[in-house]
Amino acid sequence: MKKWKKWMGLSFLCLMVAGCSPGGPDDTNDDAGGTDDSGSASEEGQTTIRFSWWGNDERHDLTQEMIELFEEKNPDISVEPEYTGWDSYWERLTTQAAGENLPAVVQMDNSKLTEYISSGLALDLNNLIDEGTINMEDVNDVYQDMLVVDESTYAISAGSNGLATIYNQDLFEEYDINLEPGYTYEDLEEEMARLSEEEGEGFWGYDFVKAEYETFFHYARQFDQHFYNQEGTGVGFENETLENFLSIVTAWIDEGTATPHDVTVEINESGESMVANEEAGIASAASNGLIGVQTLAEADLGLNVMPNAADGEKSGNWVRPSMSFMISSNVSEEKQEAAAKLIDFITNDQEANEILRAERGVPIAAQVRENLVEEVDPTVQETFEFLEVLEERAGDPEPLPPPGEAEVRAAFDRMLESVKYDDMTIEEGVESFIQEAEQILNQ
Amino acid sequence: MKSNQALEDGRVTPEFVENERKKRNRRESLTGYAMISPWLIGFFGLIIGPMIYSFILSFTDYDMLSAPQWIGVSNYVELFTNDPRFIKSLQATLTFVAIAIPLKLAFSLFLALLFNTGRKGSGMFTTIYYVPSIIGGSVAISVVWRQMFGRDGAVNTVLDAWGLNTISFFGNSTAAMSILIILIVWQFGAPMIIFLAGLRQIPQDLYEAASVDGAGTIRKFMKVTIPMLTPIIFFNLVMETINGFMTFTQAFLVTGGGPRDSTLFYAVYLYEVAFEFLNMGYASAMAWILLVIIGAFTLLIFKSSTFWVHYD
Repeated sequence: MKKWKKWMGLSFLCLMVAGCSPGGPDDTNDDAGGTDDSGSASEEGQTTIRFSWWGNDERHDLTQEMIELFEEKNPDISVEPEYTGWDSYWERLTTQAAGENLPAVVQMDNSKLTEYISSGLALDLNNLIDEGTINMEDVNDVYQDMLVVDESTYAISAGSNGLATIYNQDLFEEYDINLEPGYTYEDLEEEMARLSEEEGEGFWGYDFVKAEYETFFHYARQFDQHFYNQEGTGVGFENETLENFLSIVTAWIDEGTATPHDVTVEINESGESMVANEEAGIASAASNGLIGVQTLAEADLGLNVMPNAADGEKSGNWVRPSMSFMISSNVSEEKQEAAAKLIDFITNDQEANEILRAERGVPIAAQVRENLVEEVDPTVQETFEFLEVLEERAGDPEPLPPPGEAEVRAAFDRMLESVKYDDMTIEEGVESFIQEAEQILNQ
Repeated sequence: MKSNQALEDGRVTPEFVENERKKRNRRESLTGYAMISPWLIGFFGLIIGPMIYSFILSFTDYDMLSAPQWIGVSNYVELFTNDPRFIKSLQATLTFVAIAIPLKLAFSLFLALLFNTGRKGSGMFTTIYYVPSIIGGSVAISVVWRQMFGRDGAVNTVLDAWGLNTISFFGNSTAAMSILIILIVWQFGAPMIIFLAGLRQIPQDLYEAASVDGAGTIRKFMKVTIPMLTPIIFFNLVMETINGFMTFTQAFLVTGGGPRDSTLFYAVYLYEVAFEFLNMGYASAMAWILLVIIGAFTLLIFKSSTFWVHYD
């Protein structure tokens, strides 16, 4: 009996441990049934590379169509797609990394790239670019800045976006609200207080969409500070900067000008949008987020830059890759070459981009962008136009966040929650967060 | 050769018998092992192997992207001395187990008593009431739960219709914990079925004797049913406690550990550390501490059983 008990406890836990261990269920391609139906059995002399990305069904379909075209034009290369949703993507990828089995071409998120670079898993693409295998001549540096670390290019942007605000155009017209780029937090507060008042209960002017973290990047940049210091060992802003930012956030919530925390959390988790629901007038967003949010909304939505701090000295804006493609350093040279060809194809080929329809962000090659702008939906066009506005106003490039970013961000969000619920004063919150961030980054 | 000779002689020597038996035993046990080999492979390959690996990893700093670095017991030291969220997750888990498990057992016992009348149709109801246990742990139910208790969800709509204040279930620590407890208690099916089986084992003559002695319903329940049922209560308590400590899906999907970490159950924090922060070594250390904690509680229940469990 006693032994039996021990085993029972033990095996239950094992199940859990096993469940949490690398090597979870292989769920790629679960909805598409097979990787390829048109002769993926690699023929003689063919190089087979794996290409993995996360996304929704639309992206899966578009990307596979693009791959078919690529294989047609490059009969010596066969591409095996591996795709999943966002959540399982990273579990899968880290597992593959642990097993030294990363795909040749990996779609990357800005927040994760440094971890792959510092572990030596991302190939330095400089040679492939210099050779011209990946042709970057038509690409303005501003689109690639974030992906260059110590003069080595580790990834190629899959499309650009930037921090923005999405607003309800119809509503703004109705109340005659005009926020020209360059408007300040004070301007916004004034207008939103009015809007919240007029629209009454259940309506809030501004929605931070749980993106205070990113919004603060934009805020700090205006004071020539960055969220992280250059060495990646701690934060790169002064206490006062974050304190001022947090007082804006909390004051707006207290006044009813910004959505209360519990509402934001709930809306955010259910995948809805306050602006689309017409429960908020304007919200923080990534510029290409407009495409998705517009489909949820009845009203006409528009894009604007983020508000400026009244006493800010520099531009807070920058253009960033919405995601990028890296090449795994532990595949053979032959495969690296093939992978580079695929990335070049995605970057520069007109037909490929007509298939992909800027779904990953605004294309980085100028010619492609110009030709494509006529063919895409008006909403997508808007994101193209917005990026031009942003490019004009872009300040210094923003470096990639250091490894441990996910944990720091979680700590930031927890601190913010405590401050919003008055568990801590703003000063205490900032102080304890900075300490926690340093501890995480120095691990 | 000896055995062959034995056969030709028509005589059976003791050695021959012994040899044959050994041979057959060996063959039999080999067949036996072959039969259970799928389980054995699973047990060693998927359970024991990963467990040993996770034990080793618990002494390392491992982000899955680069090779593990041996750091001794640092993970364990860090957990106990410098991780307020670890303490918080322990508190949340203990609170949850201490409230949800007794409630669940009481509720399932209550229902088992209702269904034990032997009336027509009680079997059907037993089946219907078992359904939540089958689907309750699923992702779909967690999502439904989140919708139901949401800002514009069914519960708040009803509250509003009655003129009561609506509750922000995901913005309030107590409310968030409560809906998780309700969700777990709702999955009362398994202990209920076991209780029901236990109740049917109690000899009727005990009740008859109690009636003759003038005992009422409550007295019979306290003096006959409960003591006779203690082994079953004990079994259910152990099983449910272990399950309670490992609650993951519901908390992860319904509240996501919030608000302010108030429902950050141990398993949720473990997942976060392992797969969101990529601290696989630290997470492995956490898994082993959970093993010790569950072991300790199980041991405690077993030790206490001598005082309250009656086996006759």
